[in-house]
Amino acid sequence: MQHCMPEQLALAALREPLPAEDAAHLDSCGACAAEVASLQRAVDAVAVPLLAAPGAPVEPPAHVWDAIAAATGVPAAATGVPAAADPPAGAEIVPFRARRRPLLLVAASVLVGAVVGAGAVAVLRDSDDGVDAVQTVALDPLDENDASGRAEVVVRDDGSRALEVQLTAPALDDGYYEVWLIEPSITDMVPLGIARSGTQTFELPADLDLGEFPVVDVSVEPLDGDPLHSGVSVARGQLES
Amino acid sequence: MLTRSRPRLGSVGVVDPGPARNGAPGPRDDEIAQRFAAGDESALALAYQRWAGQVHGMAVRAFGPGPDAEDVTQQTFVSAWTGRAGYRPDKGPLPAWLVGVCRHKISDTWARRDKQRREAEAAASQLQAGPSPVTAGVDTAVADRMLVLDELDLLGQPQRGIIELAFFEDLTHAQIAARTGIPLGTVKSHIRRTLERLRSRLEVDGAALHA
Ligand SMILES: [Zn+2]
Repeated sequence: MQHCMPEQLALAALREPLPAEDAAHLDSCGACAAEVASLQRAVDAVAVPLLAAPGAPVEPPAHVWDAIAAATGVPAAATGVPAAADPPAGAEIVPFRARRRPLLLVAASVLVGAVVGAGAVAVLRDSDDGVDAVQTVALDPLDENDASGRAEVVVRDDGSRALEVQLTAPALDDGYYEVWLIEPSITDMVPLGIARSGTQTFELPADLDLGEFPVVDVSVEPLDGDPLHSGVSVARGQLES
Repeated sequence: MLTRSRPRLGSVGVVDPGPARNGAPGPRDDEIAQRFAAGDESALALAYQRWAGQVHGMAVRAFGPGPDAEDVTQQTFVSAWTGRAGYRPDKGPLPAWLVGVCRHKISDTWARRDKQRREAEAAASQLQAGPSPVTAGVDTAVADRMLVLDELDLLGQPQRGIIELAFFEDLTHAQIAARTGIPLGTVKSHIRRTLERLRSRLEVDGAALHA
Protein backbone atom coordinates (compact mmCIF):
# COMPACT_ATOMS: atom_id res chain seq x y z
CA MET A 1 0.00 0.00 0.00
CA GLN A 2 0.96 3.63 -0.27
CA HIS A 3 2.80 5.45 2.49
CA CYS A 4 0.77 7.44 4.98
CA MET A 5 -0.09 11.03 4.16
CA PRO A 6 2.39 13.49 5.68
CA GLU A 7 -0.42 15.04 7.76
CA GLN A 8 -1.26 11.63 9.23
CA LEU A 9 2.34 11.07 10.22
CA ALA A 10 2.36 14.43 11.98
CA LEU A 11 -0.72 13.40 13.94
CA ALA A 12 0.98 10.12 14.77
CA ALA A 13 3.93 12.11 16.09
CA LEU A 14 1.46 13.85 18.41
CA ARG A 15 0.28 10.35 19.41
CA GLU A 16 -3.15 10.75 17.95
CA PRO A 17 -4.70 7.43 16.96
CA LEU A 18 -4.73 6.95 13.20
CA PRO A 19 -7.38 5.27 11.04
CA ALA A 20 -6.91 1.48 11.08
CA GLU A 21 -5.39 1.30 7.61
CA ASP A 22 -2.79 3.98 8.34
CA ALA A 23 -2.01 2.45 11.72
CA ALA A 24 -1.43 -0.94 10.14
CA HIS A 25 0.86 0.56 7.50
CA LEU A 26 2.83 2.50 10.08
CA ASP A 27 3.45 -0.68 12.03
CA SER A 28 5.07 -2.31 9.03
CA CYS A 29 6.83 0.56 7.25
CA GLY A 30 10.25 1.62 8.44
CA ALA A 31 10.25 4.83 6.37
CA CYS A 32 6.99 6.11 7.82
CA ALA A 33 8.01 5.07 11.33
CA ALA A 34 11.29 6.95 10.96
CA GLU A 35 9.43 10.02 9.77
CA VAL A 36 7.19 9.90 12.83
CA ALA A 37 10.19 9.51 15.12
CA SER A 38 11.95 12.51 13.60
CA LEU A 39 8.87 14.69 14.04
CA GLN A 40 8.36 13.39 17.54
CA ARG A 41 11.61 14.78 18.87
CA ALA A 42 10.05 18.28 19.13
CA VAL A 43 6.84 16.89 20.56
CA ASP A 44 8.69 15.00 23.28
CA ALA A 45 10.80 18.03 24.12
CA VAL A 46 7.84 20.12 25.26
CA ALA A 47 4.86 17.81 25.68
CA VAL A 48 5.71 17.34 29.33
CA PRO A 49 3.58 18.04 32.39
CA LEU A 50 6.15 20.64 33.37
CA LEU A 51 4.96 22.93 30.59
CA ALA A 52 1.30 21.97 30.38
CA ALA A 53 -1.33 24.67 30.14
CA PRO A 54 -2.19 26.43 33.40
CA GLY A 55 -4.37 24.41 35.73
CA ALA A 56 -5.54 25.51 39.12
CA PRO A 57 -4.26 29.01 39.91
CA VAL A 58 -2.03 29.47 42.94
CA GLU A 59 -1.67 32.95 44.39
CA PRO A 60 2.01 33.79 44.89
CA PRO A 61 3.14 35.15 48.26
CA ALA A 62 3.26 38.93 48.66
CA HIS A 63 7.02 39.26 48.40
CA VAL A 64 6.92 38.10 44.78
CA TRP A 65 5.14 41.26 43.77
CA ASP A 66 7.48 43.35 45.91
CA ALA A 67 10.44 41.86 44.04
CA ILE A 68 8.81 42.51 40.68
CA ALA A 69 8.09 46.09 41.65
CA ALA A 70 11.67 46.55 42.82
CA ALA A 71 13.09 45.07 39.62
CA THR A 72 10.86 47.04 37.27
CA GLY A 73 10.71 50.31 39.17
CA VAL A 74 6.95 50.18 39.28
CA PRO A 75 5.88 51.54 42.68
CA ALA A 76 4.85 48.61 44.82
CA ALA A 77 2.60 50.46 47.21
CA ALA A 78 0.81 52.49 44.56
CA THR A 79 -0.26 49.69 42.31
CA GLY A 80 -3.11 48.12 44.18
CA VAL A 81 -1.87 44.60 43.95
CA PRO A 82 -3.32 42.52 46.73
CA ALA A 83 -0.48 41.62 49.01
CA ALA A 84 -2.15 38.49 50.25
CA ALA A 85 -5.38 36.79 49.45
CA ASP A 86 -6.60 37.00 53.01
CA PRO A 87 -5.30 38.38 56.24
CA PRO A 88 -3.84 35.53 58.24
CA ALA A 89 -6.01 34.06 60.94
CA GLY A 90 -5.74 36.01 64.11
CA ALA A 91 -5.10 39.28 62.31
CA GLU A 92 -5.77 42.32 64.39
CA ILE A 93 -8.14 45.04 63.39
CA VAL A 94 -6.87 48.42 64.42
CA PRO A 95 -8.83 51.64 64.68
CA PHE A 96 -7.88 54.47 62.36
CA ARG A 97 -6.37 56.60 65.09
CA ALA A 98 -4.26 53.91 66.54
CA ARG A 99 -2.15 56.13 68.72
CA ARG A 100 -5.06 57.73 70.47
CA ARG A 101 -7.30 54.76 70.83
CA PRO A 102 -6.93 51.41 72.45
CA LEU A 103 -5.84 48.70 70.09
CA LEU A 104 -8.74 46.52 69.34
CA LEU A 105 -7.90 42.88 69.08
CA VAL A 106 -10.46 40.99 67.13
CA ALA A 107 -10.08 37.54 65.73
CA ALA A 108 -10.44 37.73 61.98
CA SER A 109 -13.07 35.04 62.08
CA VAL A 110 -15.39 37.30 64.03
CA LEU A 111 -15.56 39.58 61.03
CA VAL A 112 -16.16 36.95 58.44
CA GLY A 113 -19.56 37.49 56.99
CA ALA A 114 -19.95 40.85 58.65
CA VAL A 115 -21.03 42.39 55.39
CA VAL A 116 -21.68 46.07 55.71
CA GLY A 117 -24.03 47.65 53.27
CA ALA A 118 -23.40 50.96 51.59
CA GLY A 119 -24.01 53.81 53.92
CA ALA A 120 -23.56 51.73 57.02
CA VAL A 121 -20.65 51.90 59.39
CA ALA A 122 -19.67 48.94 61.46
CA VAL A 123 -18.66 49.89 64.94
CA LEU A 124 -17.10 47.56 67.40
CA ARG A 125 -17.12 48.41 71.06
CA ASP A 126 -14.11 47.83 73.18
CA SER A 127 -15.83 46.61 76.30
CA ASP A 128 -12.79 47.24 78.48
CA ASP A 129 -13.01 51.00 78.42
CA GLY A 130 -16.15 51.62 76.46
CA VAL A 131 -14.45 53.60 73.70
CA ASP A 132 -15.90 53.28 70.23
CA ALA A 133 -13.33 52.12 67.75
CA VAL A 134 -14.16 52.25 64.08
CA GLN A 135 -12.37 49.52 62.21
CA THR A 136 -14.53 49.55 59.11
CA VAL A 137 -15.44 52.64 57.19
CA ALA A 138 -18.25 52.69 54.70
CA LEU A 139 -17.42 54.22 51.34
CA ASP A 140 -20.47 56.22 50.43
CA PRO A 141 -21.23 57.25 46.89
CA LEU A 142 -20.68 60.95 46.24
CA ASP A 143 -23.63 62.68 44.67
CA GLU A 144 -25.14 60.63 41.86
CA ASN A 145 -22.42 58.01 41.62
CA ASP A 146 -22.99 54.29 41.78
CA ALA A 147 -19.70 53.47 43.50
CA SER A 148 -19.81 52.32 47.11
CA GLY A 149 -18.11 49.87 49.40
CA ARG A 150 -16.11 49.69 52.58
CA ALA A 151 -12.55 49.92 53.79
CA GLU A 152 -10.92 48.10 56.65
CA VAL A 153 -7.51 48.46 58.26
CA VAL A 154 -5.78 45.19 58.92
CA VAL A 155 -2.66 44.65 60.98
CA ARG A 156 -0.79 41.46 60.37
CA ASP A 157 1.17 39.44 62.87
CA ASP A 158 4.45 40.99 61.66
CA GLY A 159 3.12 44.48 62.32
CA SER A 160 2.61 45.43 58.67
CA ARG A 161 -0.65 47.11 57.86
CA ALA A 162 -2.96 47.00 54.92
CA LEU A 163 -6.17 48.60 53.84
CA GLU A 164 -8.71 46.16 52.53
CA VAL A 165 -11.15 47.82 50.20
CA GLN A 166 -14.34 46.23 49.02
CA LEU A 167 -15.70 48.24 46.14
CA THR A 168 -18.87 47.96 44.15
CA ALA A 169 -18.64 50.17 41.11
CA PRO A 170 -19.42 50.08 37.41
CA ALA A 171 -16.55 49.03 35.16
CA LEU A 172 -14.86 51.90 33.34
CA ASP A 173 -14.04 51.78 29.68
CA ASP A 174 -11.77 54.79 29.60
CA GLY A 175 -10.25 55.07 33.04
CA TYR A 176 -9.73 53.31 36.32
CA TYR A 177 -10.48 53.69 40.00
CA GLU A 178 -7.79 54.68 42.42
CA VAL A 179 -7.84 54.60 46.21
CA TRP A 180 -6.32 57.42 48.28
CA LEU A 181 -5.89 58.35 51.90
CA ILE A 182 -6.46 62.07 52.35
CA GLU A 183 -6.10 64.68 55.06
CA PRO A 184 -9.32 66.13 56.44
CA SER A 185 -8.36 69.46 54.89
CA ILE A 186 -8.02 67.72 51.54
CA THR A 187 -4.58 69.14 50.89
CA ASP A 188 -2.21 66.22 51.05
CA MET A 189 -2.98 62.70 50.05
CA VAL A 190 -1.35 59.33 49.66
CA PRO A 191 -2.12 57.20 46.61
CA LEU A 192 -2.69 53.58 47.57
CA GLY A 193 -3.34 52.03 44.20
CA ILE A 194 -5.73 50.96 41.53
CA ALA A 195 -9.03 49.41 42.45
CA ARG A 196 -11.82 47.67 40.70
CA SER A 197 -15.11 46.18 41.70
CA GLY A 198 -14.43 43.47 44.24
CA THR A 199 -12.12 43.18 47.22
CA GLN A 200 -8.48 44.23 47.14
CA THR A 201 -5.76 44.85 49.66
CA PHE A 202 -3.38 47.80 49.65
CA GLU A 203 -0.17 47.81 51.61
CA LEU A 204 0.10 50.80 53.93
CA PRO A 205 3.49 52.51 54.19
CA ALA A 206 5.04 51.80 57.58
CA ASP A 207 5.42 55.48 58.45
CA LEU A 208 1.94 56.50 57.42
CA ASP A 209 -0.06 58.03 60.27
CA LEU A 210 -3.64 57.08 59.60
CA GLY A 211 -4.75 59.71 62.09
CA GLU A 212 -3.47 62.37 59.71
CA PHE A 213 -5.05 60.78 56.63
CA PRO A 214 -8.41 59.50 57.80
CA VAL A 215 -10.34 60.03 54.57
CA VAL A 216 -10.58 57.00 52.31
CA ASP A 217 -11.26 58.30 48.83
CA VAL A 218 -12.01 56.50 45.57
CA SER A 219 -11.34 58.52 42.44
CA VAL A 220 -11.81 57.97 38.75
CA GLU A 221 -8.52 58.47 36.93
CA PRO A 222 -8.26 58.97 33.20
CA LEU A 223 -5.59 57.06 31.26
CA ASP A 224 -3.45 60.16 30.90
CA GLY A 225 -0.34 59.09 32.78
CA ASP A 226 -0.81 61.88 35.31
CA PRO A 227 -0.13 60.42 38.77
CA LEU A 228 -2.02 63.21 40.55
CA HIS A 229 -5.58 62.90 41.75
CA SER A 230 -7.96 63.65 38.92
CA GLY A 231 -10.18 65.68 41.18
CA VAL A 232 -13.05 63.37 40.38
CA SER A 233 -14.07 61.39 43.43
CA VAL A 234 -16.89 58.89 43.37
CA ALA A 235 -16.94 57.45 46.89
CA ARG A 236 -15.58 58.33 50.29
CA GLY A 237 -15.50 57.26 53.87
CA GLN A 238 -14.19 58.94 56.98
CA LEU A 239 -13.76 58.14 60.59
CA GLU A 240 -16.94 59.23 62.34
CA SER A 241 -16.07 59.74 65.94
CA MET B 1 6.23 60.33 53.25
CA LEU B 2 5.33 60.79 49.65
CA THR B 3 2.14 62.69 49.31
CA ARG B 4 0.66 64.42 46.34
CA SER B 5 -1.38 67.56 46.22
CA ARG B 6 -3.75 68.93 43.73
CA PRO B 7 -5.51 72.10 44.79
CA ARG B 8 -8.58 71.60 42.71
CA LEU B 9 -9.40 68.53 44.70
CA GLY B 10 -10.91 70.96 47.17
CA SER B 11 -13.76 71.24 44.76
CA VAL B 12 -14.17 67.52 44.37
CA GLY B 13 -16.91 67.14 41.91
CA VAL B 14 -19.13 64.58 40.43
CA VAL B 15 -18.11 62.24 37.72
CA ASP B 16 -20.62 61.52 35.05
CA PRO B 17 -20.77 57.74 35.20
CA GLY B 18 -21.75 57.79 31.56
CA PRO B 19 -23.67 54.98 29.98
CA ALA B 20 -24.11 51.90 32.13
CA ARG B 21 -21.07 49.67 31.96
CA ASN B 22 -21.84 46.07 32.54
CA GLY B 23 -19.65 43.01 32.48
CA ALA B 24 -16.54 41.94 34.37
CA PRO B 25 -15.27 44.33 37.01
CA GLY B 26 -12.22 46.39 36.17
CA PRO B 27 -10.66 47.01 32.78
CA ARG B 28 -11.19 44.41 30.08
CA ASP B 29 -8.39 41.95 29.42
CA ASP B 30 -7.67 43.45 26.03
CA GLU B 31 -7.52 46.93 27.50
CA ILE B 32 -4.96 45.77 30.06
CA ALA B 33 -3.02 44.19 27.19
CA GLN B 34 -3.01 47.42 25.20
CA ARG B 35 -1.87 49.42 28.20
CA PHE B 36 0.77 46.81 29.02
CA ALA B 37 2.19 47.00 25.52
CA ALA B 38 2.17 50.79 25.73
CA GLY B 39 4.25 50.71 28.92
CA ASP B 40 1.55 51.87 31.35
CA GLU B 41 2.90 50.84 34.75
CA SER B 42 -0.55 50.32 36.20
CA ALA B 43 -1.12 47.65 33.55
CA LEU B 44 1.74 45.57 34.97
CA ALA B 45 0.00 45.61 38.33
CA LEU B 46 -3.34 44.79 36.74
CA ALA B 47 -1.82 41.96 34.71
CA TYR B 48 -0.21 40.62 37.87
CA GLN B 49 -3.47 40.85 39.77
CA ARG B 50 -5.34 39.03 37.08
CA TRP B 51 -2.85 36.40 35.89
CA ALA B 52 -0.17 35.87 38.53
CA GLY B 53 -2.26 33.01 39.93
CA GLN B 54 -2.18 31.17 36.59
CA VAL B 55 1.54 31.73 36.14
CA HIS B 56 2.38 30.78 39.70
CA GLY B 57 0.12 27.73 39.42
CA MET B 58 2.29 26.51 36.54
CA ALA B 59 5.48 27.27 38.42
CA VAL B 60 4.28 25.46 41.54
CA ARG B 61 3.23 22.47 39.49
CA ALA B 62 6.71 22.35 37.95
CA PHE B 63 8.81 22.84 41.06
CA GLY B 64 6.50 22.62 44.05
CA PRO B 65 5.79 25.58 46.30
CA GLY B 66 8.90 27.47 47.36
CA PRO B 67 11.75 29.66 46.12
CA ASP B 68 12.15 28.08 42.67
CA ALA B 69 8.48 28.57 41.81
CA GLU B 70 8.50 32.07 43.22
CA ASP B 71 11.60 32.93 41.16
CA VAL B 72 9.88 31.66 38.02
CA THR B 73 6.81 33.80 38.66
CA GLN B 74 8.91 36.83 39.48
CA GLN B 75 11.14 36.41 36.42
CA THR B 76 8.13 35.86 34.20
CA PHE B 77 6.60 39.22 35.05
CA VAL B 78 9.90 41.09 35.10
CA SER B 79 10.90 39.66 31.70
CA ALA B 80 7.44 40.26 30.30
CA TRP B 81 7.58 43.87 31.40
CA THR B 82 11.11 44.62 30.23
CA GLY B 83 10.47 42.68 27.02
CA ARG B 84 7.01 44.07 26.39
CA ALA B 85 8.14 45.40 23.01
CA GLY B 86 8.02 41.76 21.93
CA TYR B 87 4.35 41.50 22.79
CA ARG B 88 1.86 42.34 20.07
CA PRO B 89 -1.73 42.69 21.31
CA ASP B 90 -3.06 41.94 17.84
CA LYS B 91 -1.30 38.56 17.81
CA GLY B 92 -2.89 37.07 20.88
CA PRO B 93 -4.11 37.67 24.41
CA LEU B 94 -1.66 38.85 27.05
CA PRO B 95 -2.22 35.91 29.44
CA ALA B 96 -1.27 33.44 26.69
CA TRP B 97 1.90 35.39 26.08
CA LEU B 98 2.69 35.48 29.81
CA VAL B 99 2.24 31.72 29.94
CA GLY B 100 4.70 31.42 27.04
CA VAL B 101 7.24 33.53 28.92
CA CYS B 102 6.63 31.37 31.98
CA ARG B 103 7.43 28.23 29.97
CA HIS B 104 10.82 29.71 29.11
CA LYS B 105 11.51 30.46 32.76
CA ILE B 106 10.46 26.98 33.84
CA SER B 107 12.69 25.51 31.15
CA ASP B 108 15.62 27.72 32.21
CA THR B 109 15.20 26.75 35.84
CA TRP B 110 14.95 23.11 34.88
CA ALA B 111 18.14 23.37 32.84
CA ARG B 112 19.95 25.03 35.73
CA ARG B 113 18.85 22.31 38.13
CA ASP B 114 19.85 19.66 35.62
CA LYS B 115 23.28 21.20 35.19
CA GLN B 116 23.80 21.37 38.94
CA ARG B 117 22.77 17.76 39.31
CA ARG B 118 25.19 16.67 36.58
CA GLU B 119 28.03 18.64 38.06
CA ALA B 120 27.36 17.14 41.45
CA GLU B 121 27.28 13.67 39.96
CA ALA B 122 30.45 14.32 37.99
CA ALA B 123 32.20 15.58 41.10
CA ALA B 124 31.05 12.54 43.04
CA SER B 125 32.21 10.10 40.37
CA GLN B 126 35.57 11.82 40.14
CA LEU B 127 36.02 11.39 43.85
CA GLN B 128 35.29 7.72 43.52
CA ALA B 129 37.04 6.80 40.30
CA GLY B 130 39.60 9.45 39.63
CA PRO B 131 39.57 11.56 36.45
CA SER B 132 36.66 10.82 34.12
CA PRO B 133 35.32 12.31 30.89
CA VAL B 134 33.61 15.64 31.43
CA THR B 135 29.86 15.22 31.43
CA ALA B 136 28.03 17.11 28.74
CA GLY B 137 26.90 20.48 30.08
CA VAL B 138 23.27 20.22 29.08
CA ASP B 139 21.09 17.23 28.51
CA THR B 140 19.78 16.83 24.96
CA ALA B 141 16.16 16.93 26.09
CA VAL B 142 16.79 20.14 28.02
CA ALA B 143 18.45 21.76 25.02
CA ASP B 144 15.69 20.57 22.71
CA ARG B 145 13.08 22.05 25.02
CA MET B 146 14.67 25.47 24.91
CA LEU B 147 15.03 25.39 21.13
CA VAL B 148 11.40 24.37 20.62
CA LEU B 149 10.11 27.05 22.99
CA ASP B 150 12.30 29.56 21.21
CA GLU B 151 10.96 28.53 17.81
CA LEU B 152 7.37 28.67 19.05
CA ASP B 153 7.92 32.34 19.81
CA LEU B 154 8.72 32.89 16.15
CA LEU B 155 5.50 31.31 14.88
CA GLY B 156 2.68 33.49 13.68
CA GLN B 157 -0.97 32.89 14.32
CA PRO B 158 -2.90 30.71 13.96
CA GLN B 159 0.04 28.28 13.76
CA ARG B 160 1.25 29.03 17.26
CA GLY B 161 -2.15 28.73 18.86
CA ILE B 162 -2.83 25.46 17.07
CA ILE B 163 0.42 23.77 18.06
CA GLU B 164 0.16 25.03 21.63
CA LEU B 165 -3.28 23.47 21.95
CA ALA B 166 -1.79 20.19 20.74
CA PHE B 167 1.36 20.39 22.88
CA PHE B 168 0.15 21.91 26.09
CA GLU B 169 -3.55 21.14 26.26
CA ASP B 170 -3.27 17.72 24.68
CA LEU B 171 -6.12 18.35 22.24
CA THR B 172 -6.57 16.25 19.12
CA HIS B 173 -6.67 17.98 15.75
CA ALA B 174 -10.44 17.50 15.69
CA GLN B 175 -10.77 19.16 19.10
CA ILE B 176 -8.53 22.01 17.97
CA ALA B 177 -10.69 22.55 14.90
CA ALA B 178 -13.80 22.58 17.07
CA ARG B 179 -12.22 24.93 19.61
CA THR B 180 -10.82 27.42 17.10
CA GLY B 181 -13.33 27.19 14.28
CA ILE B 182 -10.46 26.56 11.84
CA PRO B 183 -11.28 23.88 9.23
CA LEU B 184 -10.01 20.38 10.03
CA GLY B 185 -7.82 20.15 6.92
CA THR B 186 -6.21 23.50 7.70
CA VAL B 187 -5.46 22.44 11.26
CA LYS B 188 -3.82 19.26 10.01
CA SER B 189 -1.63 21.01 7.48
CA HIS B 190 -0.58 23.65 10.01
CA ILE B 191 0.38 20.92 12.47
CA ARG B 192 2.40 19.14 9.80
CA ARG B 193 4.25 22.27 8.71
CA THR B 194 4.94 23.39 12.26
CA LEU B 195 6.35 20.00 13.26
CA GLU B 196 8.58 20.08 10.16
CA ARG B 197 9.76 23.53 11.09
CA LEU B 198 10.55 22.45 14.64
CA ARG B 199 12.37 19.38 13.34
CA SER B 200 14.54 21.55 11.12
CA ARG B 201 15.38 23.84 14.01
CA LEU B 202 16.41 20.90 16.16
CA GLU B 203 18.48 19.37 13.37
CA VAL B 204 20.28 22.63 12.66
CA ASP B 205 20.80 23.96 16.19
CA GLY B 206 20.25 20.98 18.43
CA ALA B 207 22.74 18.47 19.69
CA ALA B 208 23.02 15.35 17.56
CA LEU B 209 20.86 12.62 18.98
CA HIS B 210 23.45 9.92 18.52
CA ALA B 211 26.76 11.55 19.24
ZN1 LIG C 1 5.22 4.02 4.74
